[in-house]
Amino acid sequence: MAVGDGPRGHRSLADQLRSWDDERLQQLLTLRPDLATPTPHDFGQLASRAAVRSSIARALDDLTRGELLVLDALVVAGQTTEDGLVAIVRAEPAFVRAALVRLVDLALAWTSPEGLRALTAVSEALTGGPDVGLSALRPRSAEHRDTTGPDDLAAVTAVLDVLPEPARKLIEHVVDQGGTATSGSARIGLRPEDAETPAELLLAHRLLVPGGSLNPGLLLVPGEVGLALRGGRTTSRAIDELPPVASEPRSPRLSASAAAGAATDVVRRVETLLDTWGERPAGNLRTTGLGVRDLKATATLLGVGEAEAALVVEVAAAAGLVGTRADADGNPVWVPTDEFDRWRDLGTAARWTTLAHAWLESARLPSLVGERGPDQRPWNALSPELAAPGMPEAKRMALEVMADLPEGHGLAAGTGLPSLLARVAWLRPRRPRTRGDLVAWAVAEAAVLGITGADVLSAHGRALIEGEDAAAVLAAALPPPVDHVLLQADLTAVAPGPLEPDLARRLQQVADIESHGGATVYRFTQASVRRALDSGWTAAELHAFVLACSRTPVPQPLTYLIDDVERAFGTVRVGMASSFVRSEDAAALAALENDGRAEGLGLQRIAPTVLVSPVPIDLLLPRLRELGLAPVVEGPDGVVRVGGSEPLRARSDRSRGSATPARAAARRSAQVAVAVGALREGDAEARERPATASAPGGAVLSALREAVERHSAVLIGFTDHQGVLNEREVLPLEVEGGRLVARDRDAALDDPDAERRYAVHRISRVTPL
Amino acid sequence: MTDGPLIVQSDKSLLLEVDHEQAAECRKAIAPFAELERSPEHIHTYRLTPLGLWNARAAGHDAEEVVDTLLTYSRYPVPHALLVDVAETMARYGRLRLEKHPVHGLVLASNDRPVLEEVLRAKRIAGMLGSRLDDDTVAVHPSERGNLKQALLKLGWPAEDYAGYVDGEAHPIDLAEDGWGLRDYQREAAESFWHGGSGVVVLPCGAGKTIVGAAAMAHARATTLILVTNTVSARQWKDELVKRTSLTEDEIGEYSGTVKEIRPVTIATYQVITTKRKGVYPHLELFDARDWGLIVYDEVHLLPAPIFRMTADLQARRRIGLTATLVREDGREGDVFSLIGPKRYDAPWKDIEAQGWIAPADCVEVRVSLPDHSRMVYATAEAEERYRLAACTPEKVGVVRDLVARHAGQPTLVIGQYLEQLEELAEKLDAPVITGQTPVKERQRLFDGFRSGEIGLLVVSKVANFSIDLPSAEVAIQVSGSFGSRQEEAQRLGRLLRPGDPGPDGERKVAHFYTIVARDTVDAEFAQNRQRFLAEQGYAYRIVDAGDVRDLQA
Repeated sequence: MAVGDGPRGHRSLADQLRSWDDERLQQLLTLRPDLATPTPHDFGQLASRAAVRSSIARALDDLTRGELLVLDALVVAGQTTEDGLVAIVRAEPAFVRAALVRLVDLALAWTSPEGLRALTAVSEALTGGPDVGLSALRPRSAEHRDTTGPDDLAAVTAVLDVLPEPARKLIEHVVDQGGTATSGSARIGLRPEDAETPAELLLAHRLLVPGGSLNPGLLLVPGEVGLALRGGRTTSRAIDELPPVASEPRSPRLSASAAAGAATDVVRRVETLLDTWGERPAGNLRTTGLGVRDLKATATLLGVGEAEAALVVEVAAAAGLVGTRADADGNPVWVPTDEFDRWRDLGTAARWTTLAHAWLESARLPSLVGERGPDQRPWNALSPELAAPGMPEAKRMALEVMADLPEGHGLAAGTGLPSLLARVAWLRPRRPRTRGDLVAWAVAEAAVLGITGADVLSAHGRALIEGEDAAAVLAAALPPPVDHVLLQADLTAVAPGPLEPDLARRLQQVADIESHGGATVYRFTQASVRRALDSGWTAAELHAFVLACSRTPVPQPLTYLIDDVERAFGTVRVGMASSFVRSEDAAALAALENDGRAEGLGLQRIAPTVLVSPVPIDLLLPRLRELGLAPVVEGPDGVVRVGGSEPLRARSDRSRGSATPARAAARRSAQVAVAVGALREGDAEARERPATASAPGGAVLSALREAVERHSAVLIGFTDHQGVLNEREVLPLEVEGGRLVARDRDAALDDPDAERRYAVHRISRVTPL
Repeated sequence: MTDGPLIVQSDKSLLLEVDHEQAAECRKAIAPFAELERSPEHIHTYRLTPLGLWNARAAGHDAEEVVDTLLTYSRYPVPHALLVDVAETMARYGRLRLEKHPVHGLVLASNDRPVLEEVLRAKRIAGMLGSRLDDDTVAVHPSERGNLKQALLKLGWPAEDYAGYVDGEAHPIDLAEDGWGLRDYQREAAESFWHGGSGVVVLPCGAGKTIVGAAAMAHARATTLILVTNTVSARQWKDELVKRTSLTEDEIGEYSGTVKEIRPVTIATYQVITTKRKGVYPHLELFDARDWGLIVYDEVHLLPAPIFRMTADLQARRRIGLTATLVREDGREGDVFSLIGPKRYDAPWKDIEAQGWIAPADCVEVRVSLPDHSRMVYATAEAEERYRLAACTPEKVGVVRDLVARHAGQPTLVIGQYLEQLEELAEKLDAPVITGQTPVKERQRLFDGFRSGEIGLLVVSKVANFSIDLPSAEVAIQVSGSFGSRQEEAQRLGRLLRPGDPGPDGERKVAHFYTIVARDTVDAEFAQNRQRFLAEQGYAYRIVDAGDVRDLQA
């Protein structure tokens, strides 16, 4: 049997789950991870958790529109067989059966001895309109439970067929508008012959029924009436038709080249960005991420628009390549992490794969950067709240839909994106409205990252979402690295392809990058050569390096440039000193320098008439006087300063002033008051709790939930408001939010619809009847 | 991935590997839409600019062609964003059209209403338009044709001009190809200009731009106004036209500070036209003096701003601009595009050199060290004085003397910026000097003497920068210049590039171009800028110290 259960059904959902093999259970716990944490004690508890409305709602979120409509049909049917369900769904039987398997796998439906059933909370969790997969029909009335097709609706159809036109219009309208109406002035309980208005006629024929004592004035259309109106099906349109995605053929060369080009670009941009941030970090606004000005600077640096710059920054951060630390002034700044150094040593393809994976898993919303948030403040890149939990799913869905396009096809220009959004909306109809934006952003971002090219999913992009070795696929598409440059007389060096990383890094030390892309153009300037000398290169090494990496003869002007810069290198020397000693009398300075007693002063002669010392002036001055000299102090402007120094003072301790005994006493008494208040509250709660109450164990909840699913009555023992232990025979309808809603057998004599609520924590035992 | 010769960079530059076997083919394919930026020895850099792309549209190429060319020749994946950008940029051209209307004269029309609405709302063009004729058409004051085109270009919606040209007053002009013939590139240049209607022809100095002008006149066969930079150049144009065409001296008038003749072909200087008296340009009438059929702008990269304004009123007449490089130091390339017309022809210098039409050149930078006392003077000088101090250092005199001696017997020019320096040099070298103060007659005499070989050494100021034809010059020694002007460098080098007659063994003339700079000063910095320009034109250069000049290998 397709749903994989014994023909006779199971006593309870727990029983059904118990009968499953391990594999199927593992699948359930994988698809609905919330059932597995914390680990359930037994199947009763597992079934009980699976029936919780919030958990069901989460499971429904992962269904397609078709699957939701099958589930909806099951709710309408109330209780049926697989064939009965197939009969009322307007779709290919195979589609319905496949959907049903999935619903059972997800423990949203199960087979009771009486037939297939959806879990009770499903009908409440199924909210929204037809867009999210609802037929808007009510469940069938009990007497129509066993009808399995149009033929069995003959009685209802017969009544509908003879309805006068206004009544027919009215009932059709009510069904299309969601199956509920208000009674207004219509009288209830008439015979058809006495009806005066169309509404009364419908009521008389029981095509509309009162909503019961909980909803006075509300009229409902029983499910079988809706079914009859729609020709025996829950919907008037077929539910298994996927919206088509508009696509058109693309030149494979163009799309592959576009994707590979974008992939190389994004890797290079991340490297450029972080190399720059490694030297000049960007400010980190604690609450708002990367400032607007820094983003602008980044965009200029990378030669892209701000939107793309934001994406590069976010992807780098998502890949763990960006961290934050304090700069010299103690302000937080964005800098590359040590992970960046590891990443940089990888090949381009491997680097891209790291970034692309990070992007795929990331919930960040770089496309919002620059837009204004609800408080009219612009969103900044890297700001903490710039994320949506649905983003990773939106990315995956968008790419998977693109992966399903015919070979060599890309999204059609213009219509492609809207049709892709429609398809995603069909696949996951219960996502919030903003999901359309998320998917559109995902498509745009994937293009920038080179996962797609010309709106075609690239080979490496496909490998990425299928969990294969994307790096290997991309590496095959990328040009092989080159190990040389072409030097030219205008002092440029052109690397006619991607350089080997080590060579690229060394070249970057000695020359400035002028143009990026498939090739790289470097320019040697005085500044770049000086920078190389600063970082420890010698002129000889530079000559050897340019000779070694060039395929062409080294132009004479470059050789000259290196020598010329080297000639001027180091002619100005800079050092540290705290004070200087100056005298026109060079001999006196020489004597001082050689005086053994002055050794501790670290005096050093830097010119015949100047000594410098690492000792600060206020220590140097008395020592020189001790040595018998008569120095005067010279100000920064060269003018001699005379006169005594100011007497020394220390800073007073500010915290001392506040710590008076009176204040300390006040603070202590306030702390005690808070503690006492908390004590009294806790005590009051404890006294309110009835002495006999025992904590509601998991067993009580499980038993109640099981009874709900089985539609079977139980005997409950509970403590009432007076603290008296009572017993009641009830039919549990729902367990939610710590309350049991049930129909009381005893009270049912007065009002069959009367529902009572019991606090679950007061129920001490549950006995099945 | 192909093994093409072209690498497309994400900053919209195109790198062309010149030694690649497909290089020539690729160059031809990308030339219509990409601007040649640098052409050093191995890799030439082209750039995609909106102007270049619109140029291509104006010449009838579409975006698909451009994208296809890039993909065909590119060695590596082409950034998709760049292709999108190309398509979008090119799609902007021609959304707006300037057309002739039977009733309203000139109209601005569009089939893309939002674009029309957008530009109609722009403040910049508010005053240029007349009434709205219908949803897609607006009347244009005929006098605003040029200004409107200029303004629309700045708004990023360049208009395609379908309004056509007036024929002008017919006047028979033919090329007199007796004993000489149009070179292939000259013919191509003149023809692509003529088919395009108006536009600019870019050819290196010495490649015969005057002849291209004459060929264009022969196409137009109408009265022609020729605008040139100075009087000497005006004379040269006249001589050349008499020699190369059926025109006689009587048919050619000169309109300058001294002579004011208006003839079927009139040559005027920029200076006289831009002379302003009491707030008006008294010589403006020249443009209306005849029903000109063609206007020739010589050295269009130097076109002064007032001429742009006047040109804006002349959009109904055919216009040809001639220049060695479209690079303008003032960045008004867009005005050239919208007012004169798009680039119609371009050829790399080295190509023409390879064909033997211009001489190869050996460029050397000689660095002199300032003596210590001069260094001190230099170090403490005001910023604006520094260049003059460094450029005019007496140390240069010795080097010039050495170089002159080295090239004894070869016609040599010493070129400089500062009069006292030039006079000092002239005195020490015992050579005549030509500056702005030298009377035209005297200049003419000295130039003639130089051409005929009577005078072997001339010291000249910047008056010799432009359009002075000194075909015999073989050596130029540059001692100072207008700061870092690349323009000037091109012009000065251009003086040397006229190919001389082959020697007895058929060896070709090799020009020698020396620049003497003072080390560690702004002079050297400016020189660097100029040298870079040379290198980008494909001229390898060397740097030597003054002391090594004597050991220099030729």
